[in-house]
Amino acid sequence: MNWNPTPSEDSVSRRSFLAAGAAGAAITTSGCIDRVRSVVNHSTTDQLSLSIATVPADADRQNVQIARRLEERLEKVGIDVALDMRSRSELLEAVLLDHDFDLYVGLHPADYDPDFLYEALHSTYASEAGWQNPFGFTNMAFDTRLEEQRQTDGEDRTEDVKWVLRGLSQEKPFEPICFPDEYRVARADRFDGWEDGRLATRYGYLGLEPADDITRLHALVTNSRMTVNLNPLSSTFRKRGMVIDLLYDSLGTEYEGDVTPWLAESWDLPAESADTSESTHTATVTLRRGCQFHDGELVTADDVAFTYRFLEDTSLGRAPLKSPAPRYQGHVDVIDEITIESDYELTFTVTGGREPFKRALTVPILPAHIWRERVNQHAVSGEFTAPQGRWSVVTDNNVPPVGSGPFQFDTRTEGESLRLRRYDDHFTLRAGVELPEPTLEELRFTVDPGSASSIGRIDDGGADVTASMLGAYSLGAIPDSSTIEQLKSPSRMFYHIGFNVRNSPFSNSHFRRAITQLLDKNAIVEDVFYGNATPTATPVSGDWVPSDLEWDGEDPVTPFVGSNGTLNVKAAKKAFERAGFRYDDNGRLLGGY
Amino acid sequence: MLAEVLTQLVTVIVILLPLSIAVFVGRERLAQTRAEWRSRLRTAGPVIVVLLIVLLINRVARQTAPKLSREIGIHLTSTFYNVEGEFILIFQSIQTAETNAYFSTIYVYGYTFLLIFPVIAYFTLSDTRVFRRLLTAYALNYAIGLVLYIFIIAYGPRNLMPAELMERMLYDTNPQYQYLTSEVNSNTNVFPSLHTSLSATVATFAWMTRSAFPKWFPVAVVLAASVAISTMYLGIHWGIDVTAGLLLAALCVSLSDRFVDRWSLAELSEQFGDRIPWGQEHD
Repeated sequence: MNWNPTPSEDSVSRRSFLAAGAAGAAITTSGCIDRVRSVVNHSTTDQLSLSIATVPADADRQNVQIARRLEERLEKVGIDVALDMRSRSELLEAVLLDHDFDLYVGLHPADYDPDFLYEALHSTYASEAGWQNPFGFTNMAFDTRLEEQRQTDGEDRTEDVKWVLRGLSQEKPFEPICFPDEYRVARADRFDGWEDGRLATRYGYLGLEPADDITRLHALVTNSRMTVNLNPLSSTFRKRGMVIDLLYDSLGTEYEGDVTPWLAESWDLPAESADTSESTHTATVTLRRGCQFHDGELVTADDVAFTYRFLEDTSLGRAPLKSPAPRYQGHVDVIDEITIESDYELTFTVTGGREPFKRALTVPILPAHIWRERVNQHAVSGEFTAPQGRWSVVTDNNVPPVGSGPFQFDTRTEGESLRLRRYDDHFTLRAGVELPEPTLEELRFTVDPGSASSIGRIDDGGADVTASMLGAYSLGAIPDSSTIEQLKSPSRMFYHIGFNVRNSPFSNSHFRRAITQLLDKNAIVEDVFYGNATPTATPVSGDWVPSDLEWDGEDPVTPFVGSNGTLNVKAAKKAFERAGFRYDDNGRLLGGY
Repeated sequence: MLAEVLTQLVTVIVILLPLSIAVFVGRERLAQTRAEWRSRLRTAGPVIVVLLIVLLINRVARQTAPKLSREIGIHLTSTFYNVEGEFILIFQSIQTAETNAYFSTIYVYGYTFLLIFPVIAYFTLSDTRVFRRLLTAYALNYAIGLVLYIFIIAYGPRNLMPAELMERMLYDTNPQYQYLTSEVNSNTNVFPSLHTSLSATVATFAWMTRSAFPKWFPVAVVLAASVAISTMYLGIHWGIDVTAGLLLAALCVSLSDRFVDRWSLAELSEQFGDRIPWGQEHD
């Protein structure tokens, strides 16, 4: 397939660049210099400088190692680089909410279905906060294909996704590096049924078979975010939303790539081969009867309809501008209209095909009475504004959280631990419901910041399982003993470099390509992950990947310029010159071009 | 975990203290102290109270300061890294399993001992001035350190160069200490190195009191130097933090000279006694 960047791209990015520039100026003049993290200079006679945002090794050791490799390479090709180190939530705040960065290294939460690329790349999200297009990427051709993959099924959809992946590998608003292997450890003698280590989803904690007399699971997490904030909509405190999965129910639940009814008793989806010439389809969803939120209120069709409307606009129509939730917005965008047929039945009018709709069924169902009240309270305090992704309703800690999920909030100590207890009225505990149920009375999550110390603690019997994915460096420390069980699961999350394409020089795709060629993904997997990761040229894996983008020892589109891990500086500099940049006599890359 | 590490620490200190008192202080001074301890405590009382207040504020600030720091602090990690680069990696050349063990021990046990022992030793001196100055210098170190921690946000080398420091990172080789230090500090509190400044403070006092405690002086200097190096060796602090720690120590020692005996409680109560109800009881 040929790759033709659309001519409109240039003008769009220039416009968004101007907008970003104006926003930058506004922030600078507001006096808080420290918040402006982009350090790009545009002078034609000065060296180009830029900053790489990363998290400290305490938060993610691989992340900072990739950042430092990149830093070293960028300096070799004559760019002045600063490493900007922030805590995880601060980094996400800068990237997802403030859009104030040059480039960052991070772990993308991704999803089970490539439809996540829709929110990651669609132009309509370029100015929004959250995992919706944090790069500020705008491209008409992409938009068309991203929309098309939502409309189609089967082969046609695969082709659209392949097109997007090919386009991505050329345009590079972000560059995927590798999928890390997810390892965890558990005590072997206390529980059975770890479900292949799906501890990033609700399945990891349901249907466990404890040994006699065991009623509590003590899990270790390396990150304290869940003890600080339990807002399902926060984009800076959530990664994959595992705890939210336990506290809240969703209509459907995803298992091995398919979504099956959960809080919904049944559904009637548009047919697989639905006529794609029609722009909308309808689907009916029937809820389980008599389910209650943790505060005793019934879960009804009103809560479901409210949830989808609320995620589309968290101000519920009160703010002058819509304020979509910083998470799940891409999921719910396929839903055009919801009609409440009865207390337990709803009809959805959907603009997309089956798969994107199924994905929309995985969002947490929120209690309308609580969230409506929060929005109303906000309305009392004078003028109603709801800055998207930043206003209190989507950022507050939401403690105690009230959902309808299999576990309910018990207590927490900020920065230290979170305790959940079984919700005895959960529908999975009903006779005749063949779904994994909460078998334990209590789940306790304790923060233990180090992977190595967490492993030691499991080995000593100080806890049952590590709920967080272990750092690659610590895997060698897993003792070879019969009391410890090693749980391995493939990851959909991928390490990547994200570019802020709103700003020059990152708005130039040739420049971005020249940067990605500095990365030796094989060497990163070997040296940083000790081989416990899979290098990749695409952000999704498996059958979606076109054969010409499959990894065959090196990146098929932008291979590393160099050999055996050594950068060929001359060739690398050439790539920057081809992108329109100039070097001065001292070999420094100049800012203007 | 924390309890275990704390018990170990307390045990080591409890064993070391009587031994070192016997070696460095001697029986004569102890006997005299037994006779005079009340009056010495009375003279030093206000300073002890000040130090306790500072430590209490420090304790409370551990919860609130990080939030305040995020609001008003300046991020300097990349500045420090740009200035000194990989300087601390020079300690790679002396890296062996033994040096790892030595510096980890020094960082946890050596430092704690270094801070506690002089408090006891100087209390055995008839003239309480040195004792009061030491406590004042401690209080100043903590107070100034806290303020700097709020204004300056920086991560230490271990957070930036985990791969290079891997084999000697304290929390990798001895993960249990993580529970101890995370009780005491947040990972963005690296400038200045309080380990260095407090150790250097102790070493300076050891030099000033070398005629009274001739054997303690060399021990204190070796321990203090080891503590300062250990912070860099273990990848916890930048060279810049250690330098700042040394400067802070110098400042605190000289300020302690100025502050101690500047205000006497007797004068103060004379001045304000009639206005403060509890002041009158002293008459």
